[in-house]
Amino acid sequence: MSSESPLVVLPGETIDPSLIPTHKKNPLRLGPGLRHIPPSEIVPTVAGQLVVDHRKTSMWIEYNGGRYIPSQGDLIIGQIARSATDFYYVSLSPYTPNATLPHLAFESATKKTRPQLASGELVYARVSLANRHMDPELECVNSSTGKADGLGPLKDGMVFDVSLGFARRLLMAKSREEGKVEVLEALGEEGLAFETAVGRNGKVWVGSESVKTAVMVGRALRETDEKGLGVEAQRKLVKKLVREMR
Amino acid sequence: MPREAEPSANEKAFLLKALQDEQIRLDGREFDQYRPLELTFGDEYGVANVSLGKTKILAKASAEVTVPFADRPLDGIFTIATELSPMAAPHFEVNRPTETEVLLSRLLEKTVRRSGALDTESLCLVAGQKCWSVRVDVHVLSHDGNLTDAACFAVVAALRHFRKPDTSMENGVLTVYTPAEREPVPLGWLHSPFCVTWSFFGEEGETALLDADWMEEQVRVASVTISLNRHGEICQIAKLGGVPVEAVALLQCTSVALTKVKEFSTYLDDKLAEDAKRRDKGGFMAELRAENDRIVG
Repeated sequence: MSSESPLVVLPGETIDPSLIPTHKKNPLRLGPGLRHIPPSEIVPTVAGQLVVDHRKTSMWIEYNGGRYIPSQGDLIIGQIARSATDFYYVSLSPYTPNATLPHLAFESATKKTRPQLASGELVYARVSLANRHMDPELECVNSSTGKADGLGPLKDGMVFDVSLGFARRLLMAKSREEGKVEVLEALGEEGLAFETAVGRNGKVWVGSESVKTAVMVGRALRETDEKGLGVEAQRKLVKKLVREMR
Repeated sequence: MPREAEPSANEKAFLLKALQDEQIRLDGREFDQYRPLELTFGDEYGVANVSLGKTKILAKASAEVTVPFADRPLDGIFTIATELSPMAAPHFEVNRPTETEVLLSRLLEKTVRRSGALDTESLCLVAGQKCWSVRVDVHVLSHDGNLTDAACFAVVAALRHFRKPDTSMENGVLTVYTPAEREPVPLGWLHSPFCVTWSFFGEEGETALLDADWMEEQVRVASVTISLNRHGEICQIAKLGGVPVEAVALLQCTSVALTKVKEFSTYLDDKLAEDAKRRDKGGFMAELRAENDRIVG
């Protein structure tokens, strides 16, 4: 991210041509929220922060809202809707078409050893195929190495719904510096033992031995998201929650 | 027709574990605690906007002059119209009432209409010929559980806030005055009933909670809706299926419900008084003055 102060754009606004990244060889790549009108016009379709990456010659709009639209490589938490002959139908968000997850797309799965999942169970999966006008496809295994890489069925624990923008912030490689999310670290520093899995479809799975800890983590996440808390406020919130629950 | 989204198996199991083993709710509330209840009135008379946590309901009361029913020539007409639109949740469809919608309108009917909260005789203008028809439209804007309690509160608030145009009868001529000619008059109101819904969890319904949110409603095994007013007069108790609940537990529920209803009642009275103060420009002389409202300071 190159811009020092976030640049907010509105739908239909003209984008300053000097902001558009150029490269000798690589074509410009447009991400979510931008639309190319031939021959040479780029128009935002949503309101949000314009993010320009000069290194990758790409630009997109960061906004918080709407429904999850699958794109290839996303990590998601899905809910098994039902099983068909050789794949599961998985719901990524309510009231949207299901994604498919082949029975054999799990680590060292064969016809006989594949995991048996009932409807309503959760999986942590990667979107392997996402084309427009087609149901997305998922996998719980890295197809080149055959390893699960932490993907697979999620046992016990609790799922909390967060906004899509917050899920993206949690998934950032440097979620503390860039995403301004410190709530999980702060909870860990308080000596709470828990594990999390963040799905890009706005779901966070929290697993813990103690029910109280999981509830506390969920409340902290939800409150941070809903109130848009800054780093300082997040730490304060965690302190408050810990005091309340003990 | 899209089916209602269901929480996952993990969520259901976790919620039950938290409620039964640890005695905590996911949002940190006490078992007998409501989510924050908020009420705002619109600019017009009879518009009440109620939010109970993320559940949001808009109720609008209106009145028109019609012909009374032939079998009740001395009574006015009072109807409550509930509609759950896809705006509340995508599985609701227009013109195809779901079970939730039918139960909701039935409960409101029983609580407000059949308990005689509104004095329908005062709506009669000319016996057998003309009467007021009062109608309350309930719009669910957002559905996060416990629609009944929020909707009932909204209906009562809208009706208590509503003013119908003043009328007079002279030499057999009925005149309906506009608000500019005569100040509109409130409805003949007898008592304010409120609904309080208990949800039960566990094999035999041993855990009871107030004001269940959407997720809790999906997991509960039974629910009881008690309607009563601040004097402890019970209008109805609805327990529609589910596991049986012990009589002693039910008595306890009713006594807690009474304290809640008293809180609702006080809150509504305060809000109505606040709104009346906001509308009151300070008597006849103040109304006649030609000055504009100026922002002080």
